[in-house]
Amino acid sequence: MPETGTVTRQETSLDVPWNVVVHDDPVNLMGYVTWVFMKVFGYAEPRANRLMMEVHQTGRSVVWTGEKERAELYTQQLQAFQLKTSMEKTES
Amino acid sequence: MKAAPTLDGRIRIDVESPIDLLAMQSIVPDARLADRGLTERLSPGETSEDWKDYVMPELGEGFESQLGCIERAVSSLDLEDPQPLFIVRDDAESWYGGLNQARLALEDRHGFTGTPPDQLASAERAAWFRSQFYQRLQEMILQFLMLR
Repeated sequence: MPETGTVTRQETSLDVPWNVVVHDDPVNLMGYVTWVFMKVFGYAEPRANRLMMEVHQTGRSVVWTGEKERAELYTQQLQAFQLKTSMEKTES
Repeated sequence: MKAAPTLDGRIRIDVESPIDLLAMQSIVPDARLADRGLTERLSPGETSEDWKDYVMPELGEGFESQLGCIERAVSSLDLEDPQPLFIVRDDAESWYGGLNQARLALEDRHGFTGTPPDQLASAERAAWFRSQFYQRLQEMILQFLMLR
C-alpha cells in the first residue's frame, strides 16, 4: 500500500504598492500646491514644499506610495483640489 | 476696483466701474467655457470605467458648487447701489477653486505663451488680463484666508 501524505505550501502574495503622482500644470500657484500637500497628507511644510518644487522642476512627483484603495482616495482628493494627478504601480 | 484684506479676516472687493463689474461677472462664464471637462483634464493617462462612472461625476459636482458660490456673490453686485463684496474664510476654497477653473479654461483656450499682451489680438489680450486679475485674487485668498 503506497504511502500518502499531504504537502501544504504556504504562499503570501503582497499587492504591489501604488504611487500617487502629481503632474505640473501652467496654472496652479506654488504656495497653493504646498498647502494642498499639507492638507491632504498632513506633511510638514518643508516636505510639502520639496514635493511641490519637484513637480515644478521635473514635471511630476510621486507624493505618496502605498495600498491601492488609499492611493485612489488621495488621487480623488488631490483632483478635487484641481491638481493633475494619476496613479501608477510601483516597479518592484 | 479695490480689493484688500480686512481686519476681521475677510477680503473686501469694491466694484467701482462697469469694467470692474464685467471682470467679476466673467469669472463663471470663463470657467464654464472650458473646451474639455475639468475632471478629464485632471486625470492624465488611462482612466478606469469605475473612475469615470463614480469619481468624475462627484468631482464635477464639487467644481460646479464652487462656481455656484461665486455666481451667487457676483449676482448681488450693482453699480447703481454699490455695496462691497466680502469673501469670507468659509468660502475661500470655493472662490479659489472657481477662479482656478476660469484660469485653466482660459489657458486651455488661448495657451498664453509669454507673448507680451500688447502683441496679442484684442480678445486674447482681454482674456490675458482677466487671467491675471483672477490670479491676483487667488493670491490674496491664499495669503490672507487659506494660509492663516
